Amino acid sequence: MITRGPRPQPPTAAQEPTGARPFSFFRAGNRVDAAGREKPILVLEDVYKYFDRDRPVLRGANLTIDRGEFVFVTGPSGAGKSTVLQLIYRKLTVDDGRILFCGRDIARLTGDSIPFLRRNLGIVFQDFKVVPHWTVAENVAVPLEILSMPQKVVRARIAEALERVGLAGRGGHRTGTLSGGEQQRVAVARAIVTEPALVLADEPTGNLDPQLALDILTLFEEINASGITVVFATHDHSLLEARPHRLVVIDEGRVFEARSGGEVWAGSHAAARTGTNATPSSQAVHGLAAREALDGADLVSLQHVPG
Amino acid sequence: MDLYTAFLRARRGMREDAKLYVVASSSLVVAFLCLAAAVLAMTNLSAVSERWSRSGRMTIYLRDGVSEADAQRLRETLAALPEVESAVSLSSAEARAQFTRDADLGGELAGLAADAFPASVELTLRLGTSGERAEEIAARIGRVSGVEGVETYRAFFARLTSLVAAGQTAALCAALLVLVCVLAVVGNTIRLAVAGRRDEIEVLKLCGATDGYVRGPFLVEGGLQGFVAALLALALLGAAFFALRGPLDGTVAALTGVRVAFLAPGVALAIAFGGGVAGVLASAVSLRRYLAV
Repeated sequence: MITRGPRPQPPTAAQEPTGARPFSFFRAGNRVDAAGREKPILVLEDVYKYFDRDRPVLRGANLTIDRGEFVFVTGPSGAGKSTVLQLIYRKLTVDDGRILFCGRDIARLTGDSIPFLRRNLGIVFQDFKVVPHWTVAENVAVPLEILSMPQKVVRARIAEALERVGLAGRGGHRTGTLSGGEQQRVAVARAIVTEPALVLADEPTGNLDPQLALDILTLFEEINASGITVVFATHDHSLLEARPHRLVVIDEGRVFEARSGGEVWAGSHAAARTGTNATPSSQAVHGLAAREALDGADLVSLQHVPG
Repeated sequence: MDLYTAFLRARRGMREDAKLYVVASSSLVVAFLCLAAAVLAMTNLSAVSERWSRSGRMTIYLRDGVSEADAQRLRETLAALPEVESAVSLSSAEARAQFTRDADLGGELAGLAADAFPASVELTLRLGTSGERAEEIAARIGRVSGVEGVETYRAFFARLTSLVAAGQTAALCAALLVLVCVLAVVGNTIRLAVAGRRDEIEVLKLCGATDGYVRGPFLVEGGLQGFVAALLALALLGAAFFALRGPLDGTVAALTGVRVAFLAPGVALAIAFGGGVAGVLASAVSLRRYLAV
């Protein structure tokens, strides 16, 4: 388990304009200033979440994600992958602990401020959550219209986003007539059209066949390459094996580091990154592997995790 | 969110739920038609009441056989009274001709006897003459030989006043009924629209829409529904009014002394905008109950 480092401090009064909405100071994507690039974009500190008082879904979950990272989040069904994401975009509220997004504790946000948090996030779901009777352009335009952007800018941004997801020229099509993979691309375009700081993908390939799943993953990698941080929750082992991104496992209510990005697991690397003696998550990961094996599912490739 | 964006999104929503809005608006048109008709009736009754309360009119009917010279003398005597502004003598034939002209019934009155109406003297009292003073004058005139009777129209005016009061109560009841109707119809329409657009609302919230942004178009839709329904009702009432005014106006004018009039532009606008406000109110109540954003 990754233990806590020093608590990141929220912005000082000098950094944040007086009376401004939370996150209104934030600049998305790769346009963040140099000081901002040094800070982790997302920190979970001792996060607890209960749906049932006796069985917490999360118990003391800790996680630090740096700006520009691509992070796979995996774990068995019901482990709390979606819960973590829902806590980040504040569909749910933590029962204890802190979640810092760009240094701000979003767990304590009031209801009025939550929309302003979400404007800095792009969210993609397994069931796409697109409006089928709207056109592709209308679906992608939603976040821009919420920001009251001029129509000229909206049109330009939509065209750019559709180009990025491979749907150039399809803006006028009714979304409901598109295939599943294309609808998911529409959802991805909607998520990135405002160039958010962080994209949360909650099982985005769950409804797609393996080839389409790989295509969508590639799309997220391209998005990540443009400087946007991506948190990609999936239990699709083929995807986890196909790409060497950082991998965190949620199991038994805790978050374990299973693999660091682009290289094999090294406990010292994680320790150095978090500033504490991080504990490799082998037991939990092996526990997960054992459970998946019992389920007859493919095993996560964990040969790089020290035993 | 600005009003323009809310309006654009409301337009899209109404287009998607066009059938729902057409059915709902039709019910509202009927409701507003009742209200506008009640207000129209009230407006004209009030005009009649106003006309008669201000006129201070008095008609002195002369006995049969009173000579024209006597009638003229009586007119001159009455015209000299300080409370009398004007006194006009009307012979039996003139009264008949006037009625025939005002009633606008043409040949149907051709068979009326020449002396069907008694000769009379029409008095117009000066403004500010009290009802009591008018009654005193009427009593004194009534004692003059050759005078058959004096009509002060007080009883008619009293009946008219109570009729206007009853009409006002009826119009108020109609207004309340329409408000309840608008609340129910618009409220339910918005409830159905919210249920039909649950997915859109979820998408908006996930993309960072504020509660106001989500609610805005529904409020606009409610307001538009009320406003357009009220406007259509006024248009229908106007069409019916102008179609019927031709044949009725002369008769009504002859009977009451007032020409029928349509709603004043201010009143019509008040009904239309009142419909809009009631729609917004109904939508807000419905959203409060059914839209958990």
